[in-house]
Amino acid sequence: MQFYISTLLIYLFIDIMGVLGLNLQFGVAGIINFAYIVFIAVGAYTAAVVSLGPDYPGNFQHYVFGASWPFPLPILAGGAAAAVLSLVVGVISLRRLRSDYQAMVMLVLSLIATLVASNATGLVNGPAGLATIPQPLYDQLGLSPLDYQWAYAGWAAFLTVVVFLFVQGITRSPLGRTLRAMRDNERAASALGKGVTALRLMVFVVGGFIAGVSGAVFVEFIQAWSPGSWLYPETFVFLAAILVGGAGNNWGAMVGTLLVPVGFLEATRYLPAIFYQGFIEAMQWVCVGLLILLFLWFRPNGLFPEQPGRFRRRPLITGGSTRVPAVPVAPPAPVD
Amino acid sequence: MAGARVSSVVAALVFLAGCGSTTQSTTPKTITGTLTFASFNPFTGPDASFGPEMAAGCIPAANTINQAGGVLGHQVQCVAVDTRGDPADAVPAAQKMIATTDNLMGMNGPSSDEALATIPIINRAGIPMFGDTGQAAFDQSTYKYFYRLTPPDDAAGVAMAVYAYRKGYRRAAAVFGNDLSSQGNVPNLLSAFKKLGGTIVVNQTLTLDQSSYRTEVTSLIAANPDVIFTEADPQTDAAYLSQLQQLHGLIPIVGTQPTVQPPWSKAVGGAIGKDNLAKYFAGAQPYSASQGPAWQVYNTALLAAKSAVPQPDQWSQDPYTETDYDAIVMMALAMLEAKTPDPTFFNKFIPAVVGNAAGATEVHSYKEGLDAIAAGKTINYVGAGGPISFDQYQNSTGAFELVGYASNGSNPQLDIVSAADIAKER
Amino acid sequence: MQQLIPAVGFGLITASILAIAAVGFTLQFSVTNILNLAYGDIMTACAFAAYIANQAGVNIWISLVVAALFGAVFSMLINRFVYFGFVRRGTKLFGMIIVTIAVSLIIQNLLLAIFRPTFFSYHASAGASYHLGSMVFTASQLAIMAIAVVAMLLIHVLLTQTKLGKAMRATATNPGLARSCGIATDQVIDVAWLISGALCGVAGVAVVLNTATFSETTGAGFLVPIIAAAVLGGIGQPYGAMLGALTIGIAGEVAAALINPSYKDVIAFLILIVVLLVRPQGILSEIAAAKEVTA
Repeated sequence: MQFYISTLLIYLFIDIMGVLGLNLQFGVAGIINFAYIVFIAVGAYTAAVVSLGPDYPGNFQHYVFGASWPFPLPILAGGAAAAVLSLVVGVISLRRLRSDYQAMVMLVLSLIATLVASNATGLVNGPAGLATIPQPLYDQLGLSPLDYQWAYAGWAAFLTVVVFLFVQGITRSPLGRTLRAMRDNERAASALGKGVTALRLMVFVVGGFIAGVSGAVFVEFIQAWSPGSWLYPETFVFLAAILVGGAGNNWGAMVGTLLVPVGFLEATRYLPAIFYQGFIEAMQWVCVGLLILLFLWFRPNGLFPEQPGRFRRRPLITGGSTRVPAVPVAPPAPVD
Repeated sequence: MAGARVSSVVAALVFLAGCGSTTQSTTPKTITGTLTFASFNPFTGPDASFGPEMAAGCIPAANTINQAGGVLGHQVQCVAVDTRGDPADAVPAAQKMIATTDNLMGMNGPSSDEALATIPIINRAGIPMFGDTGQAAFDQSTYKYFYRLTPPDDAAGVAMAVYAYRKGYRRAAAVFGNDLSSQGNVPNLLSAFKKLGGTIVVNQTLTLDQSSYRTEVTSLIAANPDVIFTEADPQTDAAYLSQLQQLHGLIPIVGTQPTVQPPWSKAVGGAIGKDNLAKYFAGAQPYSASQGPAWQVYNTALLAAKSAVPQPDQWSQDPYTETDYDAIVMMALAMLEAKTPDPTFFNKFIPAVVGNAAGATEVHSYKEGLDAIAAGKTINYVGAGGPISFDQYQNSTGAFELVGYASNGSNPQLDIVSAADIAKER
Repeated sequence: MQQLIPAVGFGLITASILAIAAVGFTLQFSVTNILNLAYGDIMTACAFAAYIANQAGVNIWISLVVAALFGAVFSMLINRFVYFGFVRRGTKLFGMIIVTIAVSLIIQNLLLAIFRPTFFSYHASAGASYHLGSMVFTASQLAIMAIAVVAMLLIHVLLTQTKLGKAMRATATNPGLARSCGIATDQVIDVAWLISGALCGVAGVAVVLNTATFSETTGAGFLVPIIAAAVLGGIGQPYGAMLGALTIGIAGEVAAALINPSYKDVIAFLILIVVLLVRPQGILSEIAAAKEVTA
């Protein structure tokens, strides 16, 4: 039983870290990142590859690079790799584009990433993924397996607190105000002299770093990682957590994580299998979809909306317009 | 301020960690109530067909055990645990299964999708498991609680090569999906076929579930093979083979064990026509006689379980279902030998209920084993999947058979490749 | 090199299916401005509708009509019950995308829950094969191509010659003004969903005729190439959608022939990203070039 609870706690902390990163990008800065799970995956793969040791011909798995870096370098490497990828992706695809196109671009990037990781077998061992990743300091600490899990939960909790304080710090600071201004009214913010593009890129990279760290911590725990663990719908589980908890509010994000990825998805394991085994799992995704719809409809600001500012804030997702302004029609050329 | 808060949180958790210590006991636990066997496999996701195949083995076994009066006064039941087919979901599923299943005494599974991540966890929890993973990583397993009754993937590839060579094919095409279980067969298949003297004229890796493979099919036709070795998920192979049929016409197909299963034959048979499937197809699967007294008991129990197992006849000749059934029976017999259902204690009796010990009484069902043990005899359980003998790594491998497809859905046997032949070419 | 001509032929087959779907998609997108990511799953649902009819003994071409009718009604109902409400509330564009993704998750998993994780086929024969140089087509593939061309022509005629079509184009360009001119934009939007849903249904059956088997994820796999074709050609332009479909279909197969077959789908993905980043209005259209208003 303690194994199970400690596992759940570890998953909770890792998910909270992930959600906080996405909340920074999306909730606070208004960046639409439907490829978030890819950055988590990059962090996981990087941490795996630098802890597995070099590849050799008879190995049952093949991957690039390969090193045996000691703790805590793999986690930093995972965060750094995800941050670098965020920089590249951000420079190319964060533009002044209509928001649904922006979302599409990110979504398609997620699909491409899955395709490449599954097909390029020498990269991260293709569809089989990587396994037997060593848990950090396992031999050095010499704890019993259960004690090690509790220690790992403590470590994940520590990291989560650090990330929370960091993200909360940004959110509350003048920088956070600028980001929210940029999110709510980009033209006005830009007119006030805030370097919108650079700021947006910076937040994207920071969020990516957090994602990478959470992925690294995740993979060091379960010791295996494959494309099946990071398909594109996973980003929407995080998004649902933010929608439920409250975009832009870090406490709300944590509550949302407890409710959605951990609470809801774990709770369904306890339901008896009706009709046939697998029916509940299919209905689970139906429920995630319904949850998103219901919250968008009834409480678009989530359970814990952002702290109200001096002026009443327009909701992040509703409160705009589905219509694009009319295309100006050029006046007919004057007839001579 | 924040620092103090952090360190107190960490201190609290470390303190909690100290509370969780395990004790090693020297006497068996007292266990009351129904015993549970788990089927730990994907029931959803791309390999969703594996789970029901496994459950179809556990349920008849539990029924035969209960009908004979149970084990040491306990009834047994089967429980399905869905791993969802990937390690990240399988790990908490394994933890939950171990933590919350009452009287979990043993299990079937895991599959290749989650084996590497979950076997250490289950082994540490001391639950005997009969895996259906063919991964080479477990060919020399040192996990005390891990057993394997089905041959590794690489052996299947060799069997296919030997069969194709015997049929006179010399130019082969390898067409495999890019997923984990398909790719496991490929290297040994290719090297075995070449070693026998054949040539691989084209080796294609298919991205799954594309709508058009016509370009790949065209290069295959251009290479002029006389046989195709294949495994891919049903939709992929169905699209590929039907497009081959349109562009050129079919050639003989030799597939791996998943191609013998109902989902694949249903999809491909629907795509190219059942008569064509019957004409061109042969599939390799672990050899199980699908006859003999043990199999009779199994098949009767299987067909009688149709309220819990939909369309049970589809598993009558499935070697994986048969060995899953055998695993449950073996664990129950081991409990009888150990005189306790405690897994820590009956685990070491599992190899003892099989294998050809001289003078042992051959038994073919749980009931027979129960009676023989009660009469004080040493038993040798011969399973529905055939005789079992474990090597030092707790693997029991055997021969392969090649089966075809008949339009009524059955799989008539075409040929057998013995374990010795396989060993020769590996 | 001799693989190139057959590859073009295969590209035409893929393109014809994409074209039917893309024409429907572009029509709906231009009128409603909703990027409907549930489109692929509606295709799958229509394929299942045709399957049910086909299993009951109905000929596959008539089942195709059944699928089209189902698609039309289903799409319109989804709009009426789900999308329209969110649009009324002024949901931002990416919020609508989240809504459509949620709907897509729901449809796909409902299909999975109802039909179980197995594979289905139609009772349909491909017909005789015809050779055109080194390209090979079966009778049913040629029929699909004919349907694609007819659909495109019909939509073009609808949009340019009929009053309804003009009302649609007006609604697409400036709905406020259209309403002031007395156009019943709500009904126009309903009709747009009906037509695009019908085309979606036809495309769903066409996909299955092409792949021979299907399951609940088959349609979703086509979503990105369809959107790529529609966006490439320019939203609101049926000829553009056809052009986009041809480009993507042929480019994919040719890339598979010349480079690596595994990356066939990646071509469509890359084209979509490049178009969205570089020239979002596509080749032929002016709509959707404008940016969203945030104030």
